[in-house]
Amino acid sequence: MKTLEGLLNSEIKDVIAYHPEAGTVLADHGVGCVTCQVGTCLLKDIVAIHGLSADEERAVMAGIEAVLAGKTPAGPTPKATAAQPAGASGAAGRPAAATAAAPSIKYSPPMAQLVEEHRLIKRWVAQIPAVVAAMDLDRAWDRELVLDGIDFVRSYADRFHHAKEEDILFGYFDADSPAIKAFVTEHEIARSHVREAEAGVAARDAESVARHLGAYGELLASHIKREDEVLYPWMDRELTTSQVGELFSRFAAVDEAAGPRFTKNYTSLVERIERWTESQTEKQTQTEKVQVAR
Amino acid sequence: MQDLRDREAEAPDGAPAGKAPSELKQWPIQMHLISPTAPYYQGADVVLAADCTAFALGSFHADYLKGKSLAIACPKLDDGLDVYSEKIAALADEAQINTLTVVIMQVPCCRGLVALTQRALADAKRRVPVKVVVVGIQGEILSEDWL
Repeated sequence: MKTLEGLLNSEIKDVIAYHPEAGTVLADHGVGCVTCQVGTCLLKDIVAIHGLSADEERAVMAGIEAVLAGKTPAGPTPKATAAQPAGASGAAGRPAAATAAAPSIKYSPPMAQLVEEHRLIKRWVAQIPAVVAAMDLDRAWDRELVLDGIDFVRSYADRFHHAKEEDILFGYFDADSPAIKAFVTEHEIARSHVREAEAGVAARDAESVARHLGAYGELLASHIKREDEVLYPWMDRELTTSQVGELFSRFAAVDEAAGPRFTKNYTSLVERIERWTESQTEKQTQTEKVQVAR
Repeated sequence: MQDLRDREAEAPDGAPAGKAPSELKQWPIQMHLISPTAPYYQGADVVLAADCTAFALGSFHADYLKGKSLAIACPKLDDGLDVYSEKIAALADEAQINTLTVVIMQVPCCRGLVALTQRALADAKRRVPVKVVVVGIQGEILSEDWL
């Protein structure tokens, strides 16, 4: 497609579209751009944003050069390989690298708060497959449960959490930066899936609800992982001590405005959904046992 | 005890000769003497430095003191550490400081300053982001982490 220099100035989605092996090289070094739904970051920015060590950066560049030359790129650096759990493998059958290991990242206090909020959002996202498998939109109880899940997404994940990101945190960075734009675009895509899922509940269109909630869940799982492992650590490296203090105060103001029961109430809601999906799974298991016994 | 006289000077070859400017913008600085109500602490980014750190770390002024307010203490030799706790809590609650950066030496006794800070802030009504910087005895930064 291009020279290495041309490739560095290309958007990652184009790089991977023309050279899928380049995506494999990045994945092998813990750069998960293949799952990004926007992909407008330039390849050169990605190398910077991911905070790769000099050795890892050289290995990534060598791997991409090998792809351009039509050769088989070498696997991940020995350091990255050592971090992988037994049995893990990369996208091309080579050993997976940093993506496979649970990273131990130290965050500044405001970033740690966002990561903590992600934990609750991930608990709801983890329930989506079971919810859409068990829901019967002709039952008022099930419709209410799905709408409660949508309310969680709108009120907690979006108005509370994403607002901290978009209205406060991202303001400390260049709004035209491809990385920031990519994350904001994913927020918009998530919002559109939620709107469609809500419309699906109103129309009792289970297929549409399942499709949009499923797409939302897949998007959020990847989005949160990239925020936790790439975006926030990069931001922590860029922010000054004083800016971290400002962020902490501004997030505290958002928490205070939301009220002391806000997070507790939405935690209770997620727990209720978890109990419901667990009970539905038990019912299904019992039914299958009875059928086998007959 | 370590003899560091054979160590090379920190300034790189070709670095301009001359005095490094002081970034200190206040007086007093010793923990027993400071007042959390002083104007330079209000909403400030504060450095609480163990006494030895500014001597060990050649770039202390430029890298850690610039733009910040200061208090210094020795957790091993100073008396009246309960007064220090009250002042740290007052910095959080009354001065409403923005951040607190605790700069300590790598020696174990210096950890007492971090523990003292954590206990004091646990008693405070307001939460403050705390960063801990550990300086090696040859002036290198061993770690710099938010608590």
